Amino acid sequence: MTMEQAYAQALWKMIEAGRPPQSAVKSVHGALEARGRLGLLPRISRAFSRIANRAIARDNVVIYVAREKDAKHVLKEAAPIFAETGIEAKNVEIRIDENCIGGWRLEGKEALYDNSYKKHLLSVYNRVTKA
Amino acid sequence: MDSVTVERIIKEIEHYTPKTGVEHVGRVTSVGDGVVAIDGLSRAVMGEIIEFEETAGKTLEKGMNPPAGGAGSLYGLVLNLEEDGVRATILGDSARVNEGMTVKSTGRILSVPSGDELMGRVVSALGEPLDGKGPFKKTTMMPVERESYGVIDRKSVSVPLQTGIKAIDSMIPIGRGQRELIIGDRSTGKTTIAIDTIINQKNEPAEKRPICIYVAIGQKESKTARIVAQLTEAGAMPYTIIVDAPASAPAALQFLAPYAGVAMGEYFMDKGRDVLVIYDDLSKQATAYRQLSLLLRRPPGREAYPGDIFYLHSRLLERSACLSEEKGGGSLTALPIIETQDGDVATYIPTNVISITDGQIFLDSSLFNKGIRPAIDVGISVSRVGSSAQTKAMKSVAGTLRLVLAQFRELEAFMQFAQDLDKTTAERIESGRRMVEILKQRNGSPISVEKQVAVLYAADKKFFADVAIARVSETEALLLEFVDGQYSKELAEIKKSGIVSGELKKKLDRALEEFRLAHKELFAKA
Repeated sequence: MTMEQAYAQALWKMIEAGRPPQSAVKSVHGALEARGRLGLLPRISRAFSRIANRAIARDNVVIYVAREKDAKHVLKEAAPIFAETGIEAKNVEIRIDENCIGGWRLEGKEALYDNSYKKHLLSVYNRVTKA
Repeated sequence: MDSVTVERIIKEIEHYTPKTGVEHVGRVTSVGDGVVAIDGLSRAVMGEIIEFEETAGKTLEKGMNPPAGGAGSLYGLVLNLEEDGVRATILGDSARVNEGMTVKSTGRILSVPSGDELMGRVVSALGEPLDGKGPFKKTTMMPVERESYGVIDRKSVSVPLQTGIKAIDSMIPIGRGQRELIIGDRSTGKTTIAIDTIINQKNEPAEKRPICIYVAIGQKESKTARIVAQLTEAGAMPYTIIVDAPASAPAALQFLAPYAGVAMGEYFMDKGRDVLVIYDDLSKQATAYRQLSLLLRRPPGREAYPGDIFYLHSRLLERSACLSEEKGGGSLTALPIIETQDGDVATYIPTNVISITDGQIFLDSSLFNKGIRPAIDVGISVSRVGSSAQTKAMKSVAGTLRLVLAQFRELEAFMQFAQDLDKTTAERIESGRRMVEILKQRNGSPISVEKQVAVLYAADKKFFADVAIARVSETEALLLEFVDGQYSKELAEIKKSGIVSGELKKKLDRALEEFRLAHKELFAKA
């Protein structure tokens, strides 16, 4: 881990722990100034934005469906999965992916639930050809 | 697609029950040099196998037809658990991994198949067949990383592992369950000793014959192919498994290959069988591990090796054992190989492995260049536990061998300055020269222990004293042929009893006398 990553991570942890962003930035700034490392600030800011983007992407929950009409009932079908993974239906984004062929695929919060026709067809194909 | 496949697909669909569950995943954030950084997978454990999802975002057709060389699932091995993700090494072609790819946790620790089916086969470090003889049907999965047996489960080494090489079996004996290092510069015959040892196991009765596992690490494919051909020709493949992680394989596979080899061996050891594992060579494994560790951004230490380089080898070699009867009485003997630079055994990796093993066979390039092959330097070669496994027969004929050779080496050096030598010194030198000739052995021609005893008995009785040095090898070969033909019963008795009784000694003396009379021309010193 590089120095800017370490500072960015420290900043992220402070904010996550509930510290107001302004105060967190102020303490990091103070620490950098005391060590004569203020030059690191732009790089810390870039590293921080990478951490934030990753965290957003990680928390972002997407359901892929093959057709628009499938989107209507997918939330109902996925309800048991939401309960299992602690995902809230209101935070779920629905996207169209024709490669799914049918069914749906949920991704987000380090969880994957693939109920697409493509997955099932590939599973059948692999079992037949690799047997 | 042919009609048979279509029919099978239809049948499969009819009986298909979808298995879907929530999987724990992460996402590749960077990939390079066989190492991936993954965001997520916060519940992954060290050494866990992860699976790269190559079909996501692709059409069904592309998912069915992976790119060339991309057949089968692509796996990785978790090696670093970090605050914001994990770092893993790719166990395959890293070109198949791209940024943003989904990675699934499998919950499995790396394991390799083992069983009787693997014998006679060439497999990869992951246990996949490489010889085109088809997949394995019935195997047992063995964990690649496993704790070694404890003190209570072990017993002392007491059964010899015959290498078929006179110089080793007589002076540096190896016992079953021992770890004996073979060390030397490049092209000094390290692999030859290992291969001859495998071939020699053919002389053992089938029920006592050790299963041999040859682990090729970072070797040229041509060399491994040559070894397979040599073992096949010698009839040694039916009891041998070759684990191949060639120089072209990713560093991760070269690092894993020895562990895969020992895991396969442990299966047989647990069943009470004897196993011989050869690691050729651990210097290359250390280099592969260094590469991997630097890519994983672990702090480098001496010679840029990571801090746990000693543990890398100690935890591997500690898995060699001679198990107690309660544990089935199996054994796992290890013959690790280390390549030195310019004969220097005092460098980092060689000293590490020397300190871990129970002795070393040092091969000297100057001896090799003088034509003394195997080029074993008996002065610094030792076996710390093997003598207790040596048969009484061998002990009785080889007891003074090391001393004779040591005295000869000393006098040989002195001889370069001295002109006139007294009779005793001259005799010692002559005797030493003949002993050196007797201990020479062609590669690929191991000798059974009873024949070794017969030859060394003859040497001990100064039988070769009247033979011209240039004809010692020839005389030895003829003597062995003679004894094998005329005194096979006596040889069998030496093998069976493991001792040379007074009665046997008399018979051997008679055999030597008969041979001398039959081959008078050999005993006229030039």
